[in-house]
Amino acid sequence: MDLDTLLSFSWHAMGPEFIILGTATLLSLLDLFLPRSFHRKWLGWLSVASIVAAIVFLLTLIGDTPFAILYDTFRLDSFAIAFKLVLLVAAGFVLLLAISYEPKEKLTEFRGEFFYLFLVALLGAMIMSSSGDLITLFVGLELMTLSSYILVGIRKKHLPSNESAMKYVINGGIATAITLFGMSYLYGVAGTTNLLEMAERLQELTNTQHLFLLALAFLMILVGLSFKIAAAPFHMWTPDVYEGAPIPVTAFLSIISKAAGFILIIRMFITVFYHIPDVSNNSSLLMALQSFLAVLAAVTMIWGNIVALRQTKIKRMLAYSSVAHAGYLLVAVTAFSAFMVETIWFYLTAYLFMTIAVFSLLQLMNIEEVKQLSGLSKRAPLLAVALALTMLGLAGIPGTSGFIGKLNIFLGALSTEPTHYLLAAILIATTVISYIYYFKLIIYAFFREANRTFQMSGKKMNGVIISICVLMTVLLGVFPQLAYDFLHQNFLSFYDFLQ
Amino acid sequence: MMEIAWIIPLFPLFSFLVLLIFGRKWRRGQIDFAVILSLVSFICALLVLFARFTQENVKVEFTWLTIGETQLTAGFEVNQLNALMLVIVSLVSFLVHMYSKAYMEGDERITVFFAYLGLFTFAMLGLVLSPNLLQTYIFWELVGVGSFLLIGFYFYKEEAKAAAKKAFIMTRIGDVGLLIGMILLFWQVGSFEYDEIFAVISAGDLSETMATLTAILIFIGAVGKSGQFPLHSWLPDAMEGPTPVSALIHAATMVAAGVYLVAALYPLFAFSEVAMLTIAIVGGFTAIFAATIGMTQRDIKRALAYSTVSQLGYMMLALGVGGYVAGVFHLTTHAFFKALLFLAAGSVIHAVHTQDIEKMGGLWKKMKWTAPLFLIGTMAISGVPLLSGFFSKEEILVSAWVSGHYLLFTLAIIAAFFTAFYMFRLFFLVFGGEEKKEQSAVKESSNWMTVPMLVLALLAIVAGYIQTPWFGTFLGDWLTTGIAANVHGHLDGPLWVMVVATVVTFLGILLAWLMYSKKVLSRDWFTSRAPYTYQLVINKYYIDEVYQYIFVKGSRFVSQILHFVEVYLIEGLISLVTITMRRLSIIGSKFQNGQTQLYGTVAFVGLAILIVVFALTGGGF
Repeated sequence: MDLDTLLSFSWHAMGPEFIILGTATLLSLLDLFLPRSFHRKWLGWLSVASIVAAIVFLLTLIGDTPFAILYDTFRLDSFAIAFKLVLLVAAGFVLLLAISYEPKEKLTEFRGEFFYLFLVALLGAMIMSSSGDLITLFVGLELMTLSSYILVGIRKKHLPSNESAMKYVINGGIATAITLFGMSYLYGVAGTTNLLEMAERLQELTNTQHLFLLALAFLMILVGLSFKIAAAPFHMWTPDVYEGAPIPVTAFLSIISKAAGFILIIRMFITVFYHIPDVSNNSSLLMALQSFLAVLAAVTMIWGNIVALRQTKIKRMLAYSSVAHAGYLLVAVTAFSAFMVETIWFYLTAYLFMTIAVFSLLQLMNIEEVKQLSGLSKRAPLLAVALALTMLGLAGIPGTSGFIGKLNIFLGALSTEPTHYLLAAILIATTVISYIYYFKLIIYAFFREANRTFQMSGKKMNGVIISICVLMTVLLGVFPQLAYDFLHQNFLSFYDFLQ
Repeated sequence: MMEIAWIIPLFPLFSFLVLLIFGRKWRRGQIDFAVILSLVSFICALLVLFARFTQENVKVEFTWLTIGETQLTAGFEVNQLNALMLVIVSLVSFLVHMYSKAYMEGDERITVFFAYLGLFTFAMLGLVLSPNLLQTYIFWELVGVGSFLLIGFYFYKEEAKAAAKKAFIMTRIGDVGLLIGMILLFWQVGSFEYDEIFAVISAGDLSETMATLTAILIFIGAVGKSGQFPLHSWLPDAMEGPTPVSALIHAATMVAAGVYLVAALYPLFAFSEVAMLTIAIVGGFTAIFAATIGMTQRDIKRALAYSTVSQLGYMMLALGVGGYVAGVFHLTTHAFFKALLFLAAGSVIHAVHTQDIEKMGGLWKKMKWTAPLFLIGTMAISGVPLLSGFFSKEEILVSAWVSGHYLLFTLAIIAAFFTAFYMFRLFFLVFGGEEKKEQSAVKESSNWMTVPMLVLALLAIVAGYIQTPWFGTFLGDWLTTGIAANVHGHLDGPLWVMVVATVVTFLGILLAWLMYSKKVLSRDWFTSRAPYTYQLVINKYYIDEVYQYIFVKGSRFVSQILHFVEVYLIEGLISLVTITMRRLSIIGSKFQNGQTQLYGTVAFVGLAILIVVFALTGGGF
């Protein structure tokens, strides 16, 4: 590759990534050379600024014809932009959380580290949403995963934090190995790592024996990614890691990491597996293996919601709730309706605001147990209302964005042929079960007398984050067309996915 | 005016938001503010109703959500039925706002109370304006939330907490039926719009089986909200809420939502004979069943609550036998006289500080306003001629007779007798007889409380004249224009129906007078002769006990035995589900033992199972 070729690429397609990468590099240098006395939270503000810049840059890229640079390994299509927006917005909020995060066992020495590791993890997720090649996909995935291992254990003097980091490394390692193994089959059969090329070659597959290998590859990739999105039975790490990790990192894991997992799943499933014909040649491999996805989705919804019932710690409860939400999203993937990508995009957006709100509330109130919420409505009525609205959103009550998200998934499951009415029924039933544990928090906050005083530890910042997120939850619930109009006007139903 | 009907629910919503946010400062002004907003809302509703007399229906919609090819819309619609409902709801809400200003005075959470009232009124008005099922469902749930908050307003009282929970859960059971029915209907018709559903039905594109199934499922939702048998038992418990709330929610508006839903979807129901018959039977049975319980209650509010259940049964019966106008008519008159009765009861409770009618008595002289007003309400609900209840009940009885359901007609007549009896029993016990010692300091309530009652009493007298066999059938003619089902504006029944209804009413009053005022008949005249029946009735047919799976030894009646079997089975299933869930939850939590080896094992076993299943089945290839 000579210089001319290198310069001929439309590098501006990678602009947002460069901004993030540049800031991460800058931060690591600043952290090294700045004196101790310099408060590292300014590095946090710098990161926020870089994310804002990246979002602005990304918005200017909307509407261009899809780019593919670096020999089709990096794609910038409407899908990539739409999901990067979700990732960046979520990252912005998580950073704001992190800036105001003050754990008991001080973070001073590692605070700088946190910010640039975080940006690197974000970079990994962004690359995943843009990659058109197995190699870049995997590199993005690992970039995000490796950084998040350290982020989970960043409170070095906090034992539970260390423990959960260790667990995360081991489980993540298993997941990576399985994913990679599955990918290697894909490469072995297709002889290329480029996704579009792979799809073309596999369509002309003559040896049906190879289909079985591809099916194995599908199952293994699915299992490997199930770790990332926290789907049962590969979700076991979730509660332990969520509990031990600092709150901003938990928020990162439950939003960005999960979203990245789904981005990868959508990218691979639509581009590759949907285009491999099955044995009889009338439908695709993905459709033939739909029942495996359906079972995973069902088990995830049931398991997550039922085990959540007995949790007494809020973070563990939220971990299972995040498992359950992965299950709902898997229903959308299974159904594979014509509007699946839109559905998932909307759901992730809605989920982002609700989750940030809830973690911000936790951080502000500085509590761990559900019981500690008692008497909240008397002491801080506005917080109690915010908590209630968020819980209603997570439970999917009409009037909140959570309802619209579930409605989309539900209608998607019913709109396809064959109809997934069983999955739809499980979705409804488990949603009803989830009311029990979400409403439990509301009941504690409103109808229980306080048995101890609160130690509010948060700052104004948390209040701002909570207000924005709760507002968005309600706004998207009452006027969901706002989000959809944005999506339709700018991304035209992701028509350029395969161009 | 009709084009801006959407503004009507916004006033109470605004009141809710303002009171919620600024609730702690300048209390006094805020309550006046809430009352004024509810008045404005009522005036707008009134203007809309007047506009509807001369103009056509209005429907405004915008695309709310696009899912794939399907467009879901939101908006509002004004037709005869909901214009009428708007006025009823906003009027009762306004009067209750006014009344509560005095009734709730001194309560430290009074602004919260008014905020909840605003939320509820908003939800109820939104429900009424909805042009499609989905929007209806959303407001339906919101109405449930408002009612939950208000029932549990005194949340430090265990009973109130339990009652709020019970109301929430029992209506939720109904809502599941509604939701499933709604989704099935959407699946079949491809739209949530009322208009389009009716168009499909009149085009004959919906199979009768499907219509029956969806209609009955939707009716289950109405059963839950309107307290029909067997989901009625939350309504009497809901009386734990403040009394103005009972008047607004559990007498005049929310419980009528079930009846309203059936009326709004009337073309769907009318399409299926089975569904109609189900409604009629459930309604008729509830009417008489609740009336018998009403005769034995000692708590003034609970007695009124059972009478509400019974009257709602009447409305359902009317709709079920094809008396669309009769049902809506009774809904209207009932809203006025039942709200009046509750407010008057509240005034009594406010004065004597007890709800036990045995501890009251001789209040006729002490409460110069409340007593006659209560009497007017009692006369109206009992069907004393020339008051509103007389005309609407008459219309229902005629509908039942003309439709040929003679058994249901007989039930309705008997229920009318019971109604007159228990209402006058209440009246004589509370206002007649000797004064009780502990009530020497009873005072009449303030004007803020008596004025709303006066307005309602006036309406309870005159509201019937919008539809009478003598002075014209204005309401019926107006309501039935342009409706997509075959309904009559008015039915001419034989004259003797009216005579019989009047006679049983007076018989009921006479019996109550003999037993409770004159005391010629001993009060245990009935109880001593049929102690078991009395026990059964005073214990509300043990429905609550049965529901709480207490097995009463040696059930005395075959019907009860059957009932037990049913409940036992259902409860058994339910507890099986809860136990399984709890077990699963425990197992699940145990599984999560913190050992990362186990997590890895589970993952590998999971993968292995997937691959083995794939290998064995060939993966569907």
